[in-house]
Amino acid sequence: MVSAILALCLIGLGQIYSTTSPAGGGASSIFYTQIWAILLGSIALVVALSVDYRSLADKSHFIYIAIVLLLMGVLAFGVIRGGSRRWIDLGPLNLQPSEFAKATLALVLAKFFGESRRGVITRVDFAIAAAIVALPLLLIAQQPDLGTAVTLVPVLFAVAFVAGMPMRIFGILAIVGLLAAPIAWKFALQDYQKERISTFVNPSQDARGAGYQQIQARITVGSGGPFGKGFKGGTQGQLRFLPVAHNDFIFSALAEEHGFVGVVVALGLYLFVILRSLEAAKLAKDRLGAYLVLGVLASFTFQVIYNITMSAGLAPVKGLTLPLMSYGGSSMIATLAGFGLILNVRMRRFTN
Amino acid sequence: MVAPTEDRRRISARVGVLQGGVIVFFAALAICFWVLQVVQTDKFVEMANSNYQRTLALRAPRGVLYDRDGRVLVENRDSFTISIDRESAKDLDRTVGMAAEVLGLDRDQLKQAVDRHIRSEPAYRPIIIVQDASLQQVAHALSRQRELPELLIEEVPTRQYPSEALAAHLFGYVGLASEKQLGDGINQGAIVGQQGIELTYNKVLMGRDGVRRVVVNSLGREIGDPLEEIPPVEGNRLQLTIDYDLQKAVEDSFKVAADTGLTDAGAAVILDPRTGEVLAFTSQPAFDPNAFASGVDRATWSALTGDELRPLNNRALQGRYSPGSTFKMAVGLAALEEGAITPDFTVYCGGGANFYGRYFKCWKRGGHGRVDLNHAIEQSCDVFFYTVANMIGVDKIHKWASLLGLGEKSGIDLPNENVGLVPSTEWKQRVMKEKWYAGETISVGIGQGAVSVTPVSMAVYAATLANGGTRVTPHFLKAVDEGNGWEAIPAPPPHSKVALNAKKLQAIRDGMWGVVNGGGTGGRARLEGYDVAGKTGTAQVISNEGRVAAARSGKDLRDNAWFVFFAPRDNPEIAGVVFLEHGMHGPNAASVTRHILDTFFAKRDKRPVPPPPTAEMMRFDFSDSFPLPPRRPRPSLRQPDRTVAAR
Repeated sequence: MVSAILALCLIGLGQIYSTTSPAGGGASSIFYTQIWAILLGSIALVVALSVDYRSLADKSHFIYIAIVLLLMGVLAFGVIRGGSRRWIDLGPLNLQPSEFAKATLALVLAKFFGESRRGVITRVDFAIAAAIVALPLLLIAQQPDLGTAVTLVPVLFAVAFVAGMPMRIFGILAIVGLLAAPIAWKFALQDYQKERISTFVNPSQDARGAGYQQIQARITVGSGGPFGKGFKGGTQGQLRFLPVAHNDFIFSALAEEHGFVGVVVALGLYLFVILRSLEAAKLAKDRLGAYLVLGVLASFTFQVIYNITMSAGLAPVKGLTLPLMSYGGSSMIATLAGFGLILNVRMRRFTN
Repeated sequence: MVAPTEDRRRISARVGVLQGGVIVFFAALAICFWVLQVVQTDKFVEMANSNYQRTLALRAPRGVLYDRDGRVLVENRDSFTISIDRESAKDLDRTVGMAAEVLGLDRDQLKQAVDRHIRSEPAYRPIIIVQDASLQQVAHALSRQRELPELLIEEVPTRQYPSEALAAHLFGYVGLASEKQLGDGINQGAIVGQQGIELTYNKVLMGRDGVRRVVVNSLGREIGDPLEEIPPVEGNRLQLTIDYDLQKAVEDSFKVAADTGLTDAGAAVILDPRTGEVLAFTSQPAFDPNAFASGVDRATWSALTGDELRPLNNRALQGRYSPGSTFKMAVGLAALEEGAITPDFTVYCGGGANFYGRYFKCWKRGGHGRVDLNHAIEQSCDVFFYTVANMIGVDKIHKWASLLGLGEKSGIDLPNENVGLVPSTEWKQRVMKEKWYAGETISVGIGQGAVSVTPVSMAVYAATLANGGTRVTPHFLKAVDEGNGWEAIPAPPPHSKVALNAKKLQAIRDGMWGVVNGGGTGGRARLEGYDVAGKTGTAQVISNEGRVAAARSGKDLRDNAWFVFFAPRDNPEIAGVVFLEHGMHGPNAASVTRHILDTFFAKRDKRPVPPPPTAEMMRFDFSDSFPLPPRRPRPSLRQPDRTVAAR
């Protein structure tokens, strides 16, 4: 499993090299930054692996409070880039606390549901858990970074689902969600977010603007063909018709240069990592371990599926990166740390 | 309390559900990618290619036109167009604003022009904002390339026509291919012939545009070397039958007519009667085809279309006028050939005669006395031709006039030729659903009534009389160079050939000789030693009765002036017609003709070409009971306004 994760990191690294390589050849600074992120992430993975997850879970409320404070700090002193305030400037590295919020929530929720004596989750339990999620979610949404905020929601539902929440509550929530959608459309969403969704429905209505990325993504993927255009051979990514090819659209760039074959390999690796991790949840010694795996995996899986769908131009464009492959230090470190936790649970399945 | 085993079973089951869900999702994704990358890949490859490859057209220069002596008539010059590449312009409003400032254009006008293109053209096609840019504009645009990379500057060949609108209707002009003209090798954005020779021989002249395919990035900047470059192929060179000196002589003469205030309008067609080659061809007033070469601007266009003299009309082909006395040779020849008269036949003219209870006047008060055919032509005696026409009837006149080319299309190789009319009983029955009255034949005898002709058909008429019955087809094409040197183009076959009785024809010719060299009305076309034969015509544009009523309308009601001619009388080498719209008197047309003939024979005899005529030499006759209409100043033929071109 570790080798599958590393393979994905390397594929991503290759794409970053390919799409950001400056005109004269050679590697870009972005490429080196990503190498550092992978190295730091590996350290984070080892650290997250070495401490027993149970003792981590015991201290999860401190971590939770720390993260919430950091998120508040971002809103107060964060660095603004591209219209939103997401980063804390740490000199050589910019820290994006929202990435770490996912693993933290997984820990807190695992502990909360894991300690619950009852096998069935009541509405009250669920409400408390929802409140725990809501606080960082709202803080992240304020940045605004709706994409990352939304990835916290699957954490809640996945853990609650496995922890035995009755299907009835899911049903009620689904109905409430459907009813709330138009209200959210009217009041909660920013104009640019509405635009992205409406462009998704009809991309040609704004072929130069928001729909552009979606159309270009589809062209990029489709033109890759079965075997791709070769490493550094993609015209869409190389000539910048596809925006942020090293980041949100890294999978499109991969599809262009390595074709359907490359896509299948990458999808296979992701699927393998996810299934193996879910296996770890089944094998976990206690409920805490199982819930922790689920929590970490939920946001990961959600992000992977959403990003890849978007890469093919099949979902509205949203600033969601592809974990393990996309460029982004905080995301890489947080994701690898999350897998550290999963391996942690798997490793300690026999110990007491 | 729930037992841990039960707990574990539930976790196992629910995780299993999630595992299944994830597998389904991934399988669905794999299918999506399979559809995009394997099933539909061709479509997307094409879209990706059109993203990064830009195809630039390299406009082919059109074929150069030469005169019969090998002198260049129409050529190409390099000009610059400046256009906006819409796809790489991020903010079109800003681009338009900056471009207007850099190029010194009116911002609002430019905006409107650009908006028109946006609506009607695909986005990949750059919008041309300046055709034929000045060097200063090019320099300014180049100096701002960094800020305005979407401003494209291209060098394109542009048609260059002779100055002073020489032979404008003959050359025609070029313009952007319209929707209807597309196809058959003509692509959108191509420049094609829209009138004249440019239209008739467009295919030969057009050449083949080249192509340059380049790689561009998402900002539209070219990267690296072109992927492919096909150089343009210049159009074929054409040699025309036109004689530049003669053409110049024709237009110089018309210029005097215009400058003296006689008339601005008219036409002339000069042929070689042996072959039908057109030696000179004009329609007045003319327009400057250069104004169209780089896209005509609105002001010029509305000035041309709003002008009441209609300079865009090709009078030589499209104008239909009553031929007046010039028609008399056709009537005389018909009577001779039908055996109704002999050259010795005489008629007494007492200043008029009665036919079918109506009195028809001769133009000469007091009459000509007893006249034979020769003198009837020379003196243009109306009574003689009333009588002869009455003898043979309208259908015989129709038959012979048609054989001489009147009331027929000449078949000249220019677009939009109109056909005149020589009436017949069949025509009247068919069109008016009425019987022909014998009384109507009388005025047909002197070329009035329903008779109408185009100047070009009159030239054919003159040529047919000159060559003894061969109705030649006037044409402009002498030779073509398709890249392997000049190749002569054979003359198109004549429409008809009728063996005219030489003796009878000679009577007509003698009459025409007398018109010029005897005491006739065409004396002003006389050229010592060259035996010019001709016939004047003064055709009313309105009946005597109508004149009084219409006089106050301010319309120009002066008579039209004709002169048909050939020379020398025996073995003619030149034949043609000069027509002056509202030229008042036929002799005025003869005046204009003299310089043309003088130039022709000077060249033939290797003498220096005579200098342009003066008003004194023309001795125009302005005498008329009819007042001249108030003269309106005519807009001068100005050079095209080279600032805002986009039409």
